[in-house]
Amino acid sequence: MSRDMNAYLREEIQRTPFCPGCGHGILMGVLLRAIDEMALPMERVLFVSGIGCAAWIPSPHFKADTLHTIHGRAVAFATGAKLYNPELITLVVSGDGDLSSIGGNHLIHAARRDLDMTVLCANNMIYGMTGGQVASTTPEGAETTTTPGGNPERPFDLCRLVAAAGARYVARYGVVQPLLLKRAIQKGIRTRGFAFIEVLSPCPTQFGRRNRLRDPAETMKSLKARLISQRQAKSLTESERASRIVYGEFASEDSDDLEGRGRDA
Amino acid sequence: MSRSRTEGLLPPGDYYLSGNEAAAEGALAVGCDFYAGYPITPSSEIMERMAWRLPEVGGTFVQMEDEIGSLCAVIGAAWAGAKAMTATSGPGFSLMMEPLGYAVMTETPLVIMDVQRAGPCTGQATRVGAGDIMQARWGAHGDYQIIALSPWSVQEMFDMAVQAFNLAERFRVPVVLLAEEAVGHLRERITLPSEVTVIQRDRDKTRPPFGSEEPDGVPPMPAFGDGADLLVTGSTHDEWGFRKTEDPEVQRRLVTRLSRKILDHRAEICSVETYCMEDAQVMVVAYGFTARSALHAVRHLRGEGLEVGMMRLRTLWPFPEEAVARMGEGRARVLVPEMNLGQIQGEVQKAVDCPVEAYHQVNGEVIPPSVLLKWIRERSL
Amino acid sequence: MKERIEIRLCGFGGQGIVLMGLVLGEAAVRDGLWAAGSNSYGAQARGSACQSEVVLSRAPVDYPRVLAPDLLVALSQEAYERYVIDLQKEGVAVYDAGLVKPRGGLPQPHIPVDATRTAVEGLSQKQVANMVMLAAVAALTGIVSQKALLGAALDAVPARLREINQRALEAGFRLGESAREGLSYPLPDWTLCEASARADA
Repeated sequence: MSRDMNAYLREEIQRTPFCPGCGHGILMGVLLRAIDEMALPMERVLFVSGIGCAAWIPSPHFKADTLHTIHGRAVAFATGAKLYNPELITLVVSGDGDLSSIGGNHLIHAARRDLDMTVLCANNMIYGMTGGQVASTTPEGAETTTTPGGNPERPFDLCRLVAAAGARYVARYGVVQPLLLKRAIQKGIRTRGFAFIEVLSPCPTQFGRRNRLRDPAETMKSLKARLISQRQAKSLTESERASRIVYGEFASEDSDDLEGRGRDA
Repeated sequence: MSRSRTEGLLPPGDYYLSGNEAAAEGALAVGCDFYAGYPITPSSEIMERMAWRLPEVGGTFVQMEDEIGSLCAVIGAAWAGAKAMTATSGPGFSLMMEPLGYAVMTETPLVIMDVQRAGPCTGQATRVGAGDIMQARWGAHGDYQIIALSPWSVQEMFDMAVQAFNLAERFRVPVVLLAEEAVGHLRERITLPSEVTVIQRDRDKTRPPFGSEEPDGVPPMPAFGDGADLLVTGSTHDEWGFRKTEDPEVQRRLVTRLSRKILDHRAEICSVETYCMEDAQVMVVAYGFTARSALHAVRHLRGEGLEVGMMRLRTLWPFPEEAVARMGEGRARVLVPEMNLGQIQGEVQKAVDCPVEAYHQVNGEVIPPSVLLKWIRERSL
Repeated sequence: MKERIEIRLCGFGGQGIVLMGLVLGEAAVRDGLWAAGSNSYGAQARGSACQSEVVLSRAPVDYPRVLAPDLLVALSQEAYERYVIDLQKEGVAVYDAGLVKPRGGLPQPHIPVDATRTAVEGLSQKQVANMVMLAAVAALTGIVSQKALLGAALDAVPARLREINQRALEAGFRLGESAREGLSYPLPDWTLCEASARADA
């Protein structure tokens, strides 16, 4: 059954700025569907984003309060808003470079503080908006405009990082897994405390074309092929696992106390 | 409107407080209900006091992971409806420059108390300086105007904290209380009033929150949760907040209004005081703690029969150009002592026609009256 | 008549010099006076020449720090040596009889007070020597009232330390009174006048 999502969008904005094949459009749709199913009171939902392509997912598209901030600091802005008005259902939507590199310190401290907010990290493994520079999430060996010989550094495992910092709910899914992703977003929002969801969202323009994934469809297929569950990962050797991405929930608490969070709460 | 003291506020009367304590009490008196900060000498007493006082008045306190995050949290809270502040000193103030620019661009009312210490860099953390004057004015990139106040006493730490919040609400602009270590740590008798003037932002959501018909107007500011579907961004935006990052006219109009809403209201914002100026040939222009040394020297020199007077700048930014020009007219000489290498001196020189001489001291100590006594006397005979 | 009385309290870090200044200023405010105080800060306050200064007046003062103290109160030799040189010619020094050996040949009167010995032997609590000394200075000079000092001091210390501090202050008042009775010369006139710096209308 398809739903009319127009009610969640500002009528002044008729199209997204994302490149063909970008995963962010899918994430945008999944996020709104998750919200719609939960019937969240939109006048209490606050979207906070930083700088970069993913920061444009909520701002200016979503018809709600949106705070489009400066690079790396979205979580800190959200911290102030949420602490001052705990009634705000606070969702941070931003990219991997924004949240984990320049903003990494705010991310781990918000997890440590266990602030009741949900952070969606759209991970495209690259700095997209600025032209394809290496990120702290770029796979080892990948070519970027600042690693002409391949990325010599290891990427962060963001889920392990944030779980170690104390997040209540941590999950990773690709935009090629929309139903799992939607469920995770809903679980994140329902979690009383800090929730972090890493969303793998491919960037054909800046990452794909430098790494033999020129065709947007190819980037999606490649992502789908690389994703394995935690159970599948267990049966693989470390070298077999190296090229794969493990999806699933990495921290989860009983989130039954859901009153006030929408109709399916 | 004025606000009577409510539960949790200190009862009116005389107290013996430090400047930092008084600044915190002033903020509470005018309705500050959110503080985010990070410890730094010599401002930490403000944060420590807010940590136990804010819960007493129903406010919210958070110690953040750094000063960047502190100011960002303050901005986030302000958009959620708070009267929010932070306090810091040089190195922390430096870190705050990017979110400060964001606050200017998004017209977010907030207060930063910068208790200045001797810089640059780590400098002398426990010692005094007044080296952040130009940073307060120009620290963030781009063209903008900001308001900065310079308290000289513990009483003024309270009074100007009140004024800072009121100006921030009135003009939707970050206001910097440019204190100095010597005033922050000074203890003095202070009289807390039974009520203070309180200005509240207009939360009307029917008019655009980022534009105004007038080229110097201040738009209304609803809060998150008011149902205004706010679109807040540090990118160039139109009157409803839509990003217009390639439209020359929107950029021009926004940047011009951000400046004009302050500059066109200088008469309302700026405040100076004069002492013994009526027949003075020599005018000393001073601010902050240095003005207390200068006043001591000026009174002494008056006793010697010299025709000297003093103007004290209570507002540093926007610079009270008109008052300085008017008061400087016809004087033989203007003298500007500063605990820096000459940051206000140039502004004074721009405003007056007579020669301006400056005394600079950057040794981490206040300028003692004896030094100014000699320096002013030599230039007044 | 004077526009201001300047007091410098000094000793080594840990003797409670900063607290003495705080209590003295608070007591003056309770007496209806104006007070301004500054003190050593950070590492300085923990060092060997910690100082706390208070300026008393009847109206707000222009310069709030000590220029040349009228009264020096010294609780350590090193601090005494360092600060006695600033003492006004017409000033007075009060020193801890057990810890400070005054220089000879100075024009200012030097008045010994056995504060630390009283605290150790009479009260079995060395930490309250500062309050013994402060009370003695108040009783000796009359710069603040005994009632205001007692109130200010007891409000400044934690509840569990109030009793010992009260005993310290009472002992100090007695020491100060007997020191004053023993003086063979009058102390300077420290009456405050009303002068103040007023801004132009």
